[in-house]
Amino acid sequence: MLWLKNAEVVDPAQDLLALSDILVKDGKILEISAFFSEETVRSRAGGEEIKIIDGRGRLLFPGLIDVHTHLREPGQEEKEDIASGAQAAVRGGFTSILAMANTKPVVDRRALVEFVIAQAKRAGLARVYPVAAVTKGMNGQELTEMIDLAQGGAVGFSDDGRGIQSAEVMRLALEYAKLTGLPLISHCEDDDLAGGGIVHKGLASARLGLKGIPSCSESIMVARDLMLAEETGGSLHLAHISCKQSVDLIRQAKQKGLNVTAEVNPHHLIFCDENITLTATSFKVNPPLRTADDREALLEALLDGTIDMLATDHAPHTWEEKTRPFAEAPFGINGLETSLAAVWQYLVTTGKLPVRRLTEAWSLAPARRFNLAGGSLKPGQAADMVLFDPDCSATIKAEDLASKSQNTPFLNQEFKGFPVMTWVGGCLVSQLTEKSGIMA
Amino acid sequence: MERIAKSTIMDANGIRRILTRIAHEIIEKNKGTKDVVLIGIRRRGVTLAKRLQQLICEFEGVKLPMGILDITLYRDDLRTIDVQPVVQETAVPFSVQGKQVILVDDVLFTGRTARAALDATMDLGRPQRIQLAVLIDRGHRELPIRADYVGKNLPTSRRESVSVCLREADDSEEVVLMDKPGCLISWNCPLNVLQQDD
Amino acid sequence: MIWKRKHILDIESLSREEISHILHTAKPMKEVLLRPLKKLPTLRGKSVLHLFYEASTRTRTSFETAGKILGADTGSIAVAQSSVSKGESLLDTAKTLAAMQVDLVVIRHTSAGAAAFLSEHLKIGIINAGDGQHAHPTQALLDMFTLQENLGDLAGKKIVIVGDILHSRVARSNVCGLTKMGAEVTLVGPPTLLPPELKVLGARLSHVLDTELPGADAVMALRLQLERQQSGLFPSLREYSRLYGLSGQRLEKTGKKTLVLHPGPMNRGVEITSELANSHYAKIEEQVTNGVAVRMALIYLLVGGTNNVMA
Repeated sequence: MLWLKNAEVVDPAQDLLALSDILVKDGKILEISAFFSEETVRSRAGGEEIKIIDGRGRLLFPGLIDVHTHLREPGQEEKEDIASGAQAAVRGGFTSILAMANTKPVVDRRALVEFVIAQAKRAGLARVYPVAAVTKGMNGQELTEMIDLAQGGAVGFSDDGRGIQSAEVMRLALEYAKLTGLPLISHCEDDDLAGGGIVHKGLASARLGLKGIPSCSESIMVARDLMLAEETGGSLHLAHISCKQSVDLIRQAKQKGLNVTAEVNPHHLIFCDENITLTATSFKVNPPLRTADDREALLEALLDGTIDMLATDHAPHTWEEKTRPFAEAPFGINGLETSLAAVWQYLVTTGKLPVRRLTEAWSLAPARRFNLAGGSLKPGQAADMVLFDPDCSATIKAEDLASKSQNTPFLNQEFKGFPVMTWVGGCLVSQLTEKSGIMA
Repeated sequence: MERIAKSTIMDANGIRRILTRIAHEIIEKNKGTKDVVLIGIRRRGVTLAKRLQQLICEFEGVKLPMGILDITLYRDDLRTIDVQPVVQETAVPFSVQGKQVILVDDVLFTGRTARAALDATMDLGRPQRIQLAVLIDRGHRELPIRADYVGKNLPTSRRESVSVCLREADDSEEVVLMDKPGCLISWNCPLNVLQQDD
Repeated sequence: MIWKRKHILDIESLSREEISHILHTAKPMKEVLLRPLKKLPTLRGKSVLHLFYEASTRTRTSFETAGKILGADTGSIAVAQSSVSKGESLLDTAKTLAAMQVDLVVIRHTSAGAAAFLSEHLKIGIINAGDGQHAHPTQALLDMFTLQENLGDLAGKKIVIVGDILHSRVARSNVCGLTKMGAEVTLVGPPTLLPPELKVLGARLSHVLDTELPGADAVMALRLQLERQQSGLFPSLREYSRLYGLSGQRLEKTGKKTLVLHPGPMNRGVEITSELANSHYAKIEEQVTNGVAVRMALIYLLVGGTNNVMA
């Protein structure tokens, strides 16, 4: 049995933000209380060995759940594989992650869904949930066998990586996915408007001479999908929202009571197009970093609940791929190991994001939306937990990362505040050691 | 770098007398002014060439063509000096083909500037003859070069430097011998100093 | 001024003093260029390599001529015949060249930032000869040199740049340089080729050429890529030419002796009438001559000293 003492427990599901003791037995949360006497603990243990961890000065969150990662397996294991991705996840404080379907081949058949689950079991670290494709081969035309995929273990459907261009296909997908009860995750991007762009269409694209991606390439699709969700009554989750116009549309849709949720990526809350230089390909991401105004609108939306959750959009790419001229480097930011520390540094310690909202948006909301284990520390729940040390300082070093790729704009930055211990189902799967700099 | 003035070698009158003598020598040696052209080497050689042009005009009533030569692009020390020299314009508004070219400089030292000036001149055409006129010859030649007209032979040590000041460019009109303490050639010394020593 | 820079990547990073120094150095270079015997010993033993990922005759020839006059050995790699077509990455290609002890690489590339990218990964000097739609600093410098030769100090001069501003690295670099030198620059083009965010460049934006011409000291016409019509950016050459084409008649509206510049190659009859291109107002051939002089200055500044020579 594990007795975690004196940690500041943050659990929005129980409306809890207090110094507490927590008992974990058989992989589940047994009890949580302001204080346990040794006698009580011994009696609860029932003769089992008691492991005590002093959480003084640290915070305990329910394990974070990331609904948007690209693990690249099968097919592009040089960038990442499920095992390395899962390890990166637990080091970064994530106990559950959703793996997107845009692998090679695309996860559009039950066998591939089961393959992802099997590989995750082998890795045995984080809980990895497959997201299956909406259309076969992600070609934007024919729907996948959603029922079979759901029965195989998919927790949602998405052609993420590209937008579904045909409104009719999107309408049909929203209708058909209703049979599964699972949300359809939309990557909102109009290909014509995005037009092969590289960075946000605005001052940065003008300054750098790079082709711009206008905000409307996203917001038009957000508007379309919201209208289709309204018409069909389908369950819609909007991935990586990046601009103010989209936020406004989502806010209106939520007022109407639509079955819609939305996520925002940490990099869109931390950076904006002003940060981009022509040689900093780690800032190249899709949707692109937009303006400072957009960044503020996104934060406001996350705070007021218009945006429900945080998600990393962990998109590993190799050094070779990113070591190219800006326009030729692939889109994507490696996020699992750095996002929590970065959000803590840029948003929590600066007072912009309350820790309670962070936990809600990165654990409870995803668990609820995708019907997953975890998300809270209520007794009876699986003991997916993260112990976070706000005083732990470390520099993000390429060689310390568990991910196979290092394409993060935070490389060589020093952060204060890191997850130091991560448990999945009561099992300690990651622990920071002095030696490795970040985590063992 | 600290430079300490040791002694004045020549004052304004001295400079005037010497230039007058050189002007006469030029006329004498070339048997008049036919086909004679003056080319001053930047920077102080230009001022001296102008003065010679003026003097010869006074004596012979002929204004010799005068050009300006910037030898920067012909220097042999571009790869070793610390500060990149600024290239200035070469302005030789006449053909040197078949001419008696008088190159004019202030100080003849190692001979490297003169070597560069010879190359630079010959890239402009094929003169009949090139002669060299200098105000001061301070010795220490590193190349087989000698001047045809020398204002004053001035024995110096390598530690010293010779500074020619002309009122068109400087505050005074004199030639001063200075001490460069501690080093033979300082890589930090300003370029104009390097050039005028040479 | 003491020159410290090792690369010429864009105009943005150059100070006003550095630009003046380059233009000042270009003057004696032009004198050399105009000599019957145009050959210097200055960069004997130095090598300049031209790595061109984009078709170009004038810029490459201009650079090669400049390097040769200065006495450097020059070479060219055209992408079609190189291992680039075998899929070698830009970085590997450039590293290979650096390993051959080349002193300076002049690169033209279709991607913005390609030159800056190389400068971060190689120890040798880099000159950007055009990177995507980002920058074309040597063109801007030769344009500024031409304008300065004809107009004197550029401060307060009114310069109009007309055409496809959005896709033009020439315009981008020119605006940056000219405004640094104190000129007043107005960019003119249809809204599809001159979106409002281009205000970031620091020039005035306008969609009507005729109202911008009065008082202009110089007008620069940009080359119109004819394939932009297929992308729907303008309806027809006819309409484009009617609104934004330069002609002698139109130029009279400036009310003064206005210079006409064009970076070439020209579409005669589209952005400029043949009659105007041939007139004495047009400084287009002068631009080409000055291009060699300015590039000589740059090559000298980058490799003709110790500071910028790599060990």
